[in-house]
Formats: sequence, C-alpha cells, structure tokens
Amino acid sequence: MIELVHLVKRFGDLVAVNDVSLTVPRGEFFALLGPNAAGKTTTIKILVGLMKPTAGTARVAGFDLQRQPLEARRRLAYVPDFPFLYDKLTPREFFRFTAELFRLGAAAGQVEAWCARFHLGEYLDKTIESLSHGTRQRVAIVSALMHEPEVFILDEPMVGLDPHHARVLKDVLKERARAGVTVLVSTHQLSVAEEMADRIGIMHQGRLIAVGTREELRRRSGTHGDLEESFLALTAQEANFTEETAARTL
Amino acid sequence: MSSAAGNSPGLLRLLVQTNLRQGWRRLRALREQSRLLSALIVLFLAGYAALAFKLFQIGLRFAGSFPGLGPVLIERMVFLLFAFLFVLLLLSNLVISYANLFRNRETAFLLPLPVPPEIIFRWKFIESVLLASWAFVFLVAPLLAAYGLHAGVPWHFYPATLGFIALFIVLPGAGGAWLAVLVARWLDRRTFQVVALALAVGVLALAAHYLRPVQMTEEQLETRVLVVLDSLLARTRFALFPLLPSYWLSAGVQQWAEGALAAALFFGLVLLSHVLFFGTLLFTRMGRVFYDAASVVQSRGRALGRWGWFRRWEAWRRHTRARRGPLETLLGAVPGLAPDVRALVVKDLRLFWRDTTQWAQTLVLFGLLAVYILNLRHFSTQLTNTFWVTVVAYLNLGACALNLATLTTRFVYPQFSLEGKRLWIVGLAPLGLPRVMLAKFALGTTISLGLSLGLIVLSCRLLHLPWDRTLLYAGAITIMAFTLNGLAIGLGVLYPNLKEDNPGKIVSGFGGTFCLVLSFVYIVGSVLLLAFTSPWHPAGAYRTGTWVAWGVFGGISVLLGWLPMRWGRRRAAQFEY
Repeated sequence: MIELVHLVKRFGDLVAVNDVSLTVPRGEFFALLGPNAAGKTTTIKILVGLMKPTAGTARVAGFDLQRQPLEARRRLAYVPDFPFLYDKLTPREFFRFTAELFRLGAAAGQVEAWCARFHLGEYLDKTIESLSHGTRQRVAIVSALMHEPEVFILDEPMVGLDPHHARVLKDVLKERARAGVTVLVSTHQLSVAEEMADRIGIMHQGRLIAVGTREELRRRSGTHGDLEESFLALTAQEANFTEETAARTL
Repeated sequence: MSSAAGNSPGLLRLLVQTNLRQGWRRLRALREQSRLLSALIVLFLAGYAALAFKLFQIGLRFAGSFPGLGPVLIERMVFLLFAFLFVLLLLSNLVISYANLFRNRETAFLLPLPVPPEIIFRWKFIESVLLASWAFVFLVAPLLAAYGLHAGVPWHFYPATLGFIALFIVLPGAGGAWLAVLVARWLDRRTFQVVALALAVGVLALAAHYLRPVQMTEEQLETRVLVVLDSLLARTRFALFPLLPSYWLSAGVQQWAEGALAAALFFGLVLLSHVLFFGTLLFTRMGRVFYDAASVVQSRGRALGRWGWFRRWEAWRRHTRARRGPLETLLGAVPGLAPDVRALVVKDLRLFWRDTTQWAQTLVLFGLLAVYILNLRHFSTQLTNTFWVTVVAYLNLGACALNLATLTTRFVYPQFSLEGKRLWIVGLAPLGLPRVMLAKFALGTTISLGLSLGLIVLSCRLLHLPWDRTLLYAGAITIMAFTLNGLAIGLGVLYPNLKEDNPGKIVSGFGGTFCLVLSFVYIVGSVLLLAFTSPWHPAGAYRTGTWVAWGVFGGISVLLGWLPMRWGRRRAAQFEY
C-alpha cells in the first residue's frame, strides 16, 4: 500500500509537488499521468526514498520513508526509465548480487522462472554492456521482481521493450496486482493506463488534479471519448483555472 | 540508521566484491582489446618510475652536496613536498568524492534499495580515496626509494613507509569527503563556481605574494650564509606546522630513515589515532548527513534565490535571453565565422563553462604556471650568465608545452566523444562531421594557443630576451599548439568513446593514453632538439644547424598534427551512428 499525506516538495521558489494526498491500496494497479514537469518523477523519487519531502509524509507498505526507510525499501521495488546496471557483470551475476542485497537465500531460485518468462535465458552469461536497451530493461525488471515486493513502482516501463515483451510485462503486472502487490506506473502512454489501471491519477503543475477510474475521469472531464480526451480536457481546465486565479490575485 | 548499518557488514563486502569484479573485467577487456595499449601503459609507467627515481636521486645528491646544509635542505624539501601533496590530495578527494557521491549512477541505484546510507557512504568513501590517491602513491614511490637509497636505510624502512602512506592517504580522503558533502549540502552550481573562482584567485594571489623573493646583498651572500639560509627557509616554515598530517608523515618517514624508531613510531601512532578517530566519525555518523545532502542535491533551488537582487537579475536575464547572449554577440563579430560553426562553438563553450570540474582544473594548472612565470621577474635579475638565461627560457618552453599537452589531452581529445549519444544532432546537421571536427580543432587551438602564447611571451619579456628570440619561442609554441590540437582532435575521432559522458574516463582509454604519450615524446624531443641546436648566447647568430633543427621540428610537427587530422576527417566523413 502507498500513502501520500499532504506531500509538498519545493525546489527553491518552485513548488514541484503541491499538497498531494493519495492512497493506493494493496492489490491496486495505479497509473500516474501528467504532462511534462507535472511533478510525477519528483513524487516517485520521494516515494522510493531518493529525495526528502519539504512537508508531508510518504508511506510504503505502512512504513514511513523518512522514519523507517530500510523497512520500506525492503518491501519496495523500483524500475526507473533508464535503470543502472553493472555493465561488466552478466545478468546472472547481477541477479546474485541483488539476491544478496535483499538477503534472499534460497528464495532467489524463482529468478529462473522470471528469466524464462522474460526470455533472458540466452543472455544470462553475456556481460550487460553487450545487451540491447530492451534486454537491459528486462534484466532490471526481473531483478526488481526477485524479492517479491509488496509495492512495485515503475517509471515509463514500456520504453525500449518490443511489443512481445511489453505484453509479457503487462501480464506480469496484472498478475502481481491480483496477487496483492500495489503497482504504481508513471507513464505518458495513455493506452497503457487505459488498458491496465484500476485507477488513474492526473498530476498537473505539482498538484494531483484528478483521481479515479476511467469512467469517473470521463464524467469529471465532461467528455465522452477515450482517456486521451479526458486527460486533455482535465489538464486544460486546470490550466484555465490557474490562469484565472492568477489574474484575480493580480 | 547506525544500528542498521552495523548489522549489515556483508553489504559493504558485497559492494566491494562486485566493483572489484567489474574493475578486473575492465582491465582484462583493455588487455584483450589492445595488447599495444597494455604494453604502452606498462612501458610508460615503468619509464616514468625509472626516470623519476633517477631524477630524484640526482636531485637529492645535488642538495646533499652542500656542506653542512645538505641534510637541512633535504629535510625541508621532504616536508614541503608532502605538505603540497596533502593540499592537492585534499582537492582531488573533494572533486572525486563529490562526483562519486552525488553524480554517480551507482549511488542513485543503491539509494532506493535496502542498503543503509552509511554503507553506501562507506563504499563510496573507500572508492574515492583509492581513485584520488593512486597517483599520489605512484608519484612518491620513486622519491621514497631514492630517499631511502640516499640515506642508506635498512630494509624495514620501505614496508614501514608503505604503512605510513596507507594511513596518511585516509586523512585527506576524510577531509575531501566531508568537504564534498558540505559543498553538496550548501552550494548550488552557480555559488560553487563563484566560490571556487574567488578561492582560486585568492590562493594564487597569496602564493604570488608569499613566494616573492627576498633581496640579498652580495655581502650577505658571501659572509652571512646562515642568515641567508634562514630567510630562505622561513618561507617554507608552514610545512612544519605540527598539526598538519603531512608533518606527521614526513617526520615519521625521516625519523625512521635516521634510525630513531621510537620517534617514528610516535608519528605513526599520531597518524593512526587520527585515522581511527576520523574514520570512525565518517563510518558511523556521515550516512544520514550524506543522505540529506543527496536529497538536497536533487531538490536544489537556487541558493542565491533568497536575495531580491538576484531574483531581479534573473528576471532581467529571462527577459533578455530571447536576444543573443554576449558570447554569441562576441563571436558574431568574428569575420568569416559561419553561423553553424559559431553555434557549435557557443554550445561547446557553454557546456565547458557549466561543468565546473572541467575548467577548475585548467585554472589551477595555468594559475600555477602563471605564478611561476611571474616570479621569473625576480629570478631573472640574478641571471647574468647567458647560458642559464637560455636554459631557463627552454625550460619555460618545455613547461608551457607540457601544460599545453595536458590541456589538449584532457580537454580537447574528448571533445568529439563528448557529443556521445547526441552525435546525430551535429552529425545530421548540414555542416557534416568533418566540419564539426575542424570547428573543434579551431576552438581548441585558439584557446590553448592564446593561453600558452601569453605565458611564453611574458616569460621571455621577464627574462629580458631580445624580440627575435621572443618570436622564436612564440613561433615554437604556436607550432606546438597546432600540432598538439591536431593530434588530440584527430585521435579523438579515430578512437571515439560515445558511451561515456565523463571526459576523465574517455581520456583514460587507448586513444587518450596514446595521445598523452605521443604528446610527451614530441615535446621532450622537440625542446631538446631546439635547445641543443640553438645559439647559447641570446645575441648569438643562428647557425645552419639551428635552421636544420627547425626544419626537422616543423616537419615532425606537420606530420604529427596533420596526419591524425587527415585520418580523422576521413573517418568522420564515413562515420556511422
């Protein structure tokens, strides 16, 4: 479960995340959408402990990222858009490294199954530097799944994946969510959110302007088309509202 | 946090093991990739060690030959050397720790994992100390070997010295890591640039003032040797400050060499106690501070943004940014400079200026050379013998050329590779890669020639050389600038590394090492050739041999600069990306 309570993040004068409160319960697939510079990546960075919030709290699986960071991180997996991997290690060695980091011991045996699922078998003993971007992405995903996280956060996970492996990942994410894992995906691919998410959150200029199912967002935006239409309408409404407020203040 | 870190000793071992494996594979890949490179590196290292050992030995023998003064001079030189190296190590640790802790992808990868920040900090501290100190160990090893031989020390001096050095390098490492965290926590890029520039200018001014010569009369030099010596050594007394770690190292090593083992052991224990104290502090208390600083680095607003005047200035800049900046305006005034080349030059200059670690090193390098050359004005009044005037002039030429080679290898060579994954941006533009290469060559040559020419002309004027000799040295450095830039750009295109963003790592590959070795050999060969064929009296006539030597020098320069450029241009024209 993910909980954000009145989360604020300032970069000097700029408010990157503005009073965001959100609860993503266990077993939910949540998609975080928003235009560029909306505050999605900053929110994720706070959620994975890369950054401290200016105010508010972020909890993962019931653990406060600031007070009990290690407990939270043990239950968390994060795959960034361009994941870091040790270039001179082979995927097999990298998985062993991850298993030891998480002290998995025998439980790490499941890695074989994940590798088979993501078709990594033939690459296991090649150095990571020789792998394509998509294959590296699959290595990062498998390494994130190894410790069976309670919360799985992915930033643009489909980038670099071919259609076949994008499908595999979508299936895995759905299965994980059904098994009780909280999945949060930040993406610009509205089709991914539309197809998979139980609920969708839209961020704009640091604020979480709308949260709900596809149907709820459609009603709220007053549109009848697909998610793209709802998204554009909601962000446009918000932009107009911000401009009017600014004009009134002046 | 601390207890969590205490419970995770295996994690540190795991990180060390993983990175050792990576390092070993990199070395092996290098060997497999090019046996020539491996042989070249080994040869260069062995050659340096042998040459340095020989030079130190000659130097020590020379200093020791002054009756009664020799041991005092040698002792003070050892103190001085380690004091300067301590400061350099501190700076080096600061730069490397900052990059390693706050700009490193491994650190960003580890932070969201269940690895306590203490463990990440410990590993990065160890890595930074090793990266920052290996060159120091490599530099002082021949010196200490020569010193041991000169002092006739017993065998156990060498392992004991190794122990002293192992303890010593931890202290500037600790200071550098602590400073890096402080810088990250409190200074943004702009503030750091201003502070670094101000500090560099301040240090250079202080050095120029502190190292000014003392005027002595002939009578004093002949009759009051002790007074003269005392005033000479007074300027170096700062190296004897007993709270400097370099003092403990120098004193320990020298006491051991003299057989005063108890006193040497005392300094060893002083070093050990400080290492343990600061090491414990770093290992147990810095994790949280490091995490806070890492978070601040990612959340940085403008440090100066709290002041109204800065915000107004920023607003003005935003308003005027739509217009051409001063750099574009300045370059726009250069006749014949095409807009596409100008755009490329402006881009390269902006990127260079915005990466403080790049220009800060240049500043230190040329600043130290400027201090040395400015001090020539005092030194030259003592030079009445024309032989020594010529020797100093050629030494200046050598120093400026070596500085130039450092500049071209470190900054010009990686220019093409630094386009990296963005190479297609300039590659697909209508100007084409060969023209990109020429633009980079022109930019590198203009800047490096401007700096080197200024220094060489200044040094010639301070040595009161006639204008024709000044022109001769200026001509030599101009030819060298074209050659070294051509070599660096050409090899940079022939051996590109488009995967790496760090210029330091690009330079450490085959092409960079090859460029450095070729530049070094070219400079030493050229300076020796020109020096031994030139008339030793500044007013002496040029001989036939002089002109022949200049012909050979010119021919080699053209070949060494032009051939790599030609091959590079051909490669650039057919480049696949």
